[in-house]
Amino acid sequence: MRAETIEKLSSLGFLGPLAFFIALFIVLPVTGTFVDSLFRDVVFLDRAFIGLENYRALFSHPGFWNAMRFTLLFVIVSVPLEILLGLAIALTLNETIPLRGMIRAVVLIPWAIPAAVSARVFELIYNYSYGAANYLVRVLGISREPVNWLGTDLGAFAAVVATDAWKTTPFVAIILMAGLASIPEILYAQARVDRAGFIRRFRSITIPLLWPVLIVAALFRTIHALRIFDVIYVLTGGGPGGATESVSLFAYRYFTTGDYGFGAAASVVLFIMALSLSVFYVRLGGFGKRRRE
Amino acid sequence: MNRPDARNLLLFFGVGFTLLFCLSPFVYMLLTGFNTSPDFLRPGGNMAFTLDHFHTVIFSPQLHFPRYMLNSIVISAASACITVFAASLAAYALTRLPVPWKGPIMVFVLAISMFPEVSLLSYLFKFMSALGWANTYQALILPYVAWTLPLSLWILVSYFEQVPHDLDKAGLIDCASRLTILIKIILPVAAPGVFSTLLLAFIFAFNEFLFALMLTTDYAARTIPVGIAMFQGMHGEIPWGEIMAAAAVTTLPVVILTLLFQRRIIQGLTRGAVKE
Amino acid sequence: MPHTGTARPIPRIMLSVLCFPVLLVLAAGCDSGNGHRIVFSVGGTPSALLVWEELIANFEAQSDWRVTILRQPADTGQQLQALLVALDSGQDDPDVFIMDVAWVGLFAAAGWLRPLGTIDTEPFFEQVVEQVDKYNGKLLALPVYMDAGLLYYRKDLLKKYGYAGPPRRYEELTAMAVAVQKGERRDNPGFYGFVWQGAQYEGLVVNFLEFAGRGGGMLHQRNGRDVLDMTVPENRRGLTWMRDLIREHGISPPSTYTAMREEEVRLWFQQGNALFERNWPYAYALHDAPGSPVRGNVGVAMLPGWETDEPGLPTLGGWHIGISAQSDAPDGAMAFLRYVVSRGPQKRLALRLGWNPGREDLYDDPELLEKYPHLPVLETALEHARSRPLLPFYIQLSEIAQQTLNAALAGNIAPGPALRDMQSQMAALLARYGRETLLPEGTKTAGERGQ
Repeated sequence: MRAETIEKLSSLGFLGPLAFFIALFIVLPVTGTFVDSLFRDVVFLDRAFIGLENYRALFSHPGFWNAMRFTLLFVIVSVPLEILLGLAIALTLNETIPLRGMIRAVVLIPWAIPAAVSARVFELIYNYSYGAANYLVRVLGISREPVNWLGTDLGAFAAVVATDAWKTTPFVAIILMAGLASIPEILYAQARVDRAGFIRRFRSITIPLLWPVLIVAALFRTIHALRIFDVIYVLTGGGPGGATESVSLFAYRYFTTGDYGFGAAASVVLFIMALSLSVFYVRLGGFGKRRRE
Repeated sequence: MNRPDARNLLLFFGVGFTLLFCLSPFVYMLLTGFNTSPDFLRPGGNMAFTLDHFHTVIFSPQLHFPRYMLNSIVISAASACITVFAASLAAYALTRLPVPWKGPIMVFVLAISMFPEVSLLSYLFKFMSALGWANTYQALILPYVAWTLPLSLWILVSYFEQVPHDLDKAGLIDCASRLTILIKIILPVAAPGVFSTLLLAFIFAFNEFLFALMLTTDYAARTIPVGIAMFQGMHGEIPWGEIMAAAAVTTLPVVILTLLFQRRIIQGLTRGAVKE
Repeated sequence: MPHTGTARPIPRIMLSVLCFPVLLVLAAGCDSGNGHRIVFSVGGTPSALLVWEELIANFEAQSDWRVTILRQPADTGQQLQALLVALDSGQDDPDVFIMDVAWVGLFAAAGWLRPLGTIDTEPFFEQVVEQVDKYNGKLLALPVYMDAGLLYYRKDLLKKYGYAGPPRRYEELTAMAVAVQKGERRDNPGFYGFVWQGAQYEGLVVNFLEFAGRGGGMLHQRNGRDVLDMTVPENRRGLTWMRDLIREHGISPPSTYTAMREEEVRLWFQQGNALFERNWPYAYALHDAPGSPVRGNVGVAMLPGWETDEPGLPTLGGWHIGISAQSDAPDGAMAFLRYVVSRGPQKRLALRLGWNPGREDLYDDPELLEKYPHLPVLETALEHARSRPLLPFYIQLSEIAQQTLNAALAGNIAPGPALRDMQSQMAALLARYGRETLLPEGTKTAGERGQ
């Protein structure tokens, strides 16, 4: 009896620090934000309970819908792009090539650099007068006029997608590489014996077996893309004219002008969106693999 | 003999594209950092090597750059160590002790890693303010620990699961406590996983932006990503040369870590994100 | 299976690795106690802040208070965030700080400013002190630096193209800029007629208010009360004109609405690539400094108006100094504040940084007049200057305006709909803060509007 109780107490003790940190610095703030969104929490007004008023104001606020539209558009465009690029890189690195380790290390570099830092580099790249992007535009003859990247809606959107893709494609590539590595080589060998071409092998073996990993990577990226903040804050500041303002940035603005309740409401909406997707992800990916074994 | 050639050509282009994609912005950053003027790609611009930008960035007291570096390194290192500490304990319990609801706990922890940071931000800010901890190291370390715990836990669980229980039994026979077994037996064996976790946690904490942006107000606790985002020149113009020099110095530790330990990092990431 | 058996140094290494950062953290978090120390927060370019350090050194020599300077970036948005986070999180630092005139309303309403008690406000610009610095009858701040928008122009170019003097109306300005730009472009393809601040930040609102002219703006007096109305025709005229400068006449660079803030505009003009510049008075000293390509050719005038030759309404800007209500060293803070607003330091700030004194009694100082011949123009401008609405939520209103104005400049939305959009967003904001009384009559509330 005593040994069992000791074991039980041990397990509680061992889980203690984890529970402490997660409860206090994640669960508590999230709950607190939820509660706060039901209050008029403004720095220069008295605190008052206003129920769903913040949400009502939020849903009739054109800036919020603008942010939602941008965020969703960003997800829809960047996630497939990153998956495709990541797949291309993963396929390349899956082959035995010289210096594979070095190349893999190089591939990790964009991922390892802070997003804020790489955003500043891209801010320079997209500089109107002397950035590398307009240099390429000029030299490759794409257009005689320099492109106003950060000054047009489309240009800024493209710039944000490109910057984010640069940073996160390596992560996708690595996940896909792991998936590719787990495809048994013998399948390819058999296919080659059956005289199946490269494309045929790709379609019949690689894609089906890689599919679960692709889905996992896509969902992972989607959930992270929903919360995009760093790149936008540094690269465009949400501009021009709010064209690249994400929901995270929208909520943040309200925090830094003292309207915590309203910002909390926006971040709760984002939270619910992310949570729904993550439930989907856990159902599909996190435990899908376990069940397959 | 066509197929191997075609394949090699494709591979060549694949590798070339990969390297170009990953390295060109980085190279551009370095070029600008070492150039007297950032407009060398303008028609009529030219390149001229200089170390001035690096000198200004490292030695100019008004820019506080070394301080930002110190803050970032200390905060990231502390977060990484504490995360590994908490995650090891929890992973041990989840893989070897009778813990109820193991599955739901893992799922819950996984779900937590999906939370948007902005949804914690305002309350975390108030919480830290109430404690008087705004603009201090602990204001960032504690949330960072919590934030990197999910990934750390998943990685360590997958490594601990592979350590055979016989080792534990050997320890138990010697009347060692569970904690001793963890520290003296399991951790050494799972050292690669622990190391991966330390690396990843360090990198995540180092790169974090939003919390650092809101919870710090000046150079006392400000971290590098925020410092670089706010970087301004001596006279108010955007000093691209200096910014790129600062960026280069910033990325130096991470790039070195990455180049040296790419295998560990990749192993860690794939364990945490994709269960093999 | 690899099994190490004997106790390895790993646990000990890990423990020390763990302890080291913790110790550092504790050491860094250690408050050295207050003693006789005050923390002073001020923003600006690092070179400008050097002047402040001189002032501080002077102050420390005459008192037993030590002053730690907290350097903020030159970007006003980032300064606001830093101050807001510091004050709202209950920190006792900074004790004294410099704030933009547009924030005083918010800080006052949030209770972050400590009343300044009895200070003689006579030497200062009275109407500014009355409007901006007093809240509920208490004096909460004082102007350290007074600002009003001015029109800079190239005397040599106007002469070259046969103009008698700077334009008195915006219509004239357009015509002059178009003509001169055409001529100058032959040798200088990067030349533009008029540079002004159009990036998405507070400066854009400031410029907009000036270009809207009399009758335009945010708040209007109707039937004896203040009313917030963005849709007045003068606003529309101003915004259309701003957009056309970039998109129709091409006399303002396309980067106007993405990148042009004070320094970018100043540098553009200073490098000789513009005929007219709208900027704050600080630019004069820099334009006239040795080594400046436009030295000796820069003229300064009041901003034009519309339709008449009466001068326009510059927007009041500037920095005010205040003491934190949470300060743990109020006496020291007060001593420092008194020092900063006294004649000597104000004069030094004026001479070294080009800061126009908040003290009206310095405007006839011979030394200043000699260095800044434009001072009389400035004094007139300050007397005419219009302040932005002194509401606690002005910052939120400004953000709405910034976004919509910038979108109109980018060509994404026409000026009329932009202003209507702005108005409805502002109305929703007012409703949220319970200040519907500021809305024009006949404005439907959110419930009735059925949006």
